[in-house]
Amino acid sequence: MGILEPERTDTGPHPRKEPRFDGPLTLESLGRVFEGCVDYMERQVYLHGDRERTVTVCYLLGMTRNERLSDYILRPLAQDPALSRAPEEELFSLLQYGALYNLAANRRTALEDVVNDLILGSCALFFPGRADVLTLPVPTEEKRSVGEPENEPALKGVRESFVESIRTNTAMVRRHLKAPELKIREHIVGRRSRTQVDVLYLEGIADPETVERLRRRLDNIDIDGVEAAGNLEEYLVDHLNTPFPTMPYTQRPDRFCQGLLEGRVGLMADGLPFAWMLPGTIDQFFKTGQDRAFHWMTASVLNLVRWFCALVTVLLPGLYIAVVTFHPEAIPVKLALSIVAAKQEVPFSTVFEVLIMLLAFEVLQEAGLRLPSPIGATVSILGGLVVGNAAVEARIVSPAVLIAVAIAGVAGYTMPSQDFAAALRLWRFLLAILASAAGLFGLAAGCAGLIYHLASLETFGVPYLAPFTAGAGQPQGHPNLLRPPLPRMKWRDGARHTENRRNQR
Amino acid sequence: MKKRLAPAALAVAAALLAGCGTTALPYAREMGDMALLRTMGVDAGEKEGDLRVTVSTGKRAAGLQGEGQPPLILSAEGGSLSSACLAMQGLSDSYVFYGYVDQLLLGEELALEGVQTVLDYFAQDVELGLGTQLWLIRGDTAQGAVQAGEKTGVDSRLSTLQTDSEMGAAGVTRTVGETSASLLEWGSAYLPALRAVEQEREGETALLEAGYGVLRDGRLVGYLDGEGARGLELLTGRTAADILEIELPSGRTVVRLTGAAVQWSPEFQGNDLKRLHLTCRVTAALAEGRRQLEEQEQEQLRRALEAREEERLRRVLDQLRSWGADCAGVGSQVGRADPARWEKLRDRWTRLFSTVPVEISVEVSLGAR
Repeated sequence: MGILEPERTDTGPHPRKEPRFDGPLTLESLGRVFEGCVDYMERQVYLHGDRERTVTVCYLLGMTRNERLSDYILRPLAQDPALSRAPEEELFSLLQYGALYNLAANRRTALEDVVNDLILGSCALFFPGRADVLTLPVPTEEKRSVGEPENEPALKGVRESFVESIRTNTAMVRRHLKAPELKIREHIVGRRSRTQVDVLYLEGIADPETVERLRRRLDNIDIDGVEAAGNLEEYLVDHLNTPFPTMPYTQRPDRFCQGLLEGRVGLMADGLPFAWMLPGTIDQFFKTGQDRAFHWMTASVLNLVRWFCALVTVLLPGLYIAVVTFHPEAIPVKLALSIVAAKQEVPFSTVFEVLIMLLAFEVLQEAGLRLPSPIGATVSILGGLVVGNAAVEARIVSPAVLIAVAIAGVAGYTMPSQDFAAALRLWRFLLAILASAAGLFGLAAGCAGLIYHLASLETFGVPYLAPFTAGAGQPQGHPNLLRPPLPRMKWRDGARHTENRRNQR
Repeated sequence: MKKRLAPAALAVAAALLAGCGTTALPYAREMGDMALLRTMGVDAGEKEGDLRVTVSTGKRAAGLQGEGQPPLILSAEGGSLSSACLAMQGLSDSYVFYGYVDQLLLGEELALEGVQTVLDYFAQDVELGLGTQLWLIRGDTAQGAVQAGEKTGVDSRLSTLQTDSEMGAAGVTRTVGETSASLLEWGSAYLPALRAVEQEREGETALLEAGYGVLRDGRLVGYLDGEGARGLELLTGRTAADILEIELPSGRTVVRLTGAAVQWSPEFQGNDLKRLHLTCRVTAALAEGRRQLEEQEQEQLRRALEAREEERLRRVLDQLRSWGADCAGVGSQVGRADPARWEKLRDRWTRLFSTVPVEISVEVSLGAR
């Protein structure tokens, strides 16, 4: 316990109540569950106008679609003459098996199930004197329409992206992969949010052990709600003490399906407009949805450029500090003369200059992100151009430092994964500090630490650096720095333990 | 793991903060406070055994839009190069950094006394390097040559000479490393010589090529000029900027030498070296005049060129043999031709080089322009 923290008693996690609602299945019990809920509705209906025969329809306003409720449920109940003639004991099965036009009808015997169905957009039919209830799903389909993926723009690919509705997302995947082997297993996560979380995989290709591991971890999550990606990510990853992401995600159904075809296991949550592909090895964070769309040579070169930019963004500020402060003899003469000339009237040390500029870069980026886009652009221009130029002209910073930090910053934006870029930004600071303490020696030690850290990471049983490592007897996949021609990419990656390694004739 | 790492990290941090790491870690310096030296001149000092070091930064730029400042020229004298260089630190308001010295000028007086100390210093110092270009100032001091570029610095002139040499437009250049290796292996070496010449415009001095100085056992023994210098270039397989004007019966023809290769073949009698055969193959091309020569004219030209080149080679060999300075590495070529016999005559080589008869044959081939 920290010194400044107030004293508190650790009571441990409060037990999960199973079932959550354990009263008898009656209209009164349901009313008590939803007591104080203004959207809870009950309506008594006479079957074909017969005052002796009534049912009570319960639903949550806004969760059901009114037209379906009226046309498929209420109209047959009020107008079908068979309902008034049928014997009382057959009435329930008559409604369950055909008198109502709804796609599905479920018989429920527990209050817990009825409550869950109502929350998911069903209406419940209560019959006087019966202990079971009929629930009919009539959920509303109000959602954002499928649009273009803003974070992963496509020049030569599909222009649809996942939305917040999980069922729409699974339908999109199903349209891409019309195979019955595509399995979709649902879990409910969150005591309060009751969020649907689906595990998608291709049976016969994906590693069953990974699927089981993921499902086990999902079942073990006991939280209040899933409102952000971190609510799942931080409970599912193997390592929390690393800035590097181990769960790559995408907004694009085509890329997601490609991941499933490669043997990955997909994960989706209702309310989150993207999907994860597991396990996530380091190469996944350098690939884009366009890699398979472009010519293999172009895609390979662009992939190499991205790896080069990752090195530039993480190493350049530290390298600049190390070389300029500790090893000036390593700089070509003319460049050294330029640096000396530009540095002469700057009052700060190189280390301070670089660290301040790196910090300023982060501040500007954060300011640009937090503001609405028109103002954000203005802040970027003001900060980047005006303040930067003024700082150079006022001899507050030297232009060489500005260029080094700007190149490092821009190189970071080539990363397809902003999570990975953020991790590199953190390490950039650390390497710059190490370089300012011990020059190239410190930088080399930092790089060794970075490699050690990356090599120690695992994601769902697969080494994070799996593309570059070869375990004993572990089959290798295709080269990861390049994108070979697709007819030659006949193997799924061995590191993911796929059941069927060959992916084409 | 964490419990073990945390104390270790704390211990390292404490050691660094206490200053224990200052010897193990590199030392930080701000480049803005540095005077980056480009040229160094070394002369014999006023007192016997002393050395005078003169350094120049070359043309400097101040600030972003600042006008170019004149070069910073410093001069100090000491009992050794180290002490003179150390004394230099006190003369400047900036940290004097020797890591960018790429031109070294040696005064004639120092060269006569011996240059080995200077070369050794360049080989051992952490900032100075063996890739530094080496020049000999003929008939003057290195200080005078460094100060000759008072306004613009001499480094740009020396860099130009070096670039011209690489392109074949100026004489052969030598680095400190090459010269040291030559002195170690062959006991002698040659250096490009420069002469400071007063220009017509008042106060301006230019450094012009002035042949080659020859060192034996680290001391200057003499200079090779004109045809002798050209002969040395031929002997080393370098034909730098060599244009020949040959008078033919049909008129004057201008020829450019484009390449040269020499081969030494020793002739032994028992274990004794009886004779040395020097074969020099030269390629040349017409530089001016008519595009095509008649066959007879070509033959005349070839013979004239062969005579000229043979004379050059004879002249340089006579001179080098008279000094006993095998600065072109003839001995090593004899050794490569017959290693077993070479082992027996290696110790006598300097005397042999001066006395053994040499037969010279030159073959010229005329190529297209």
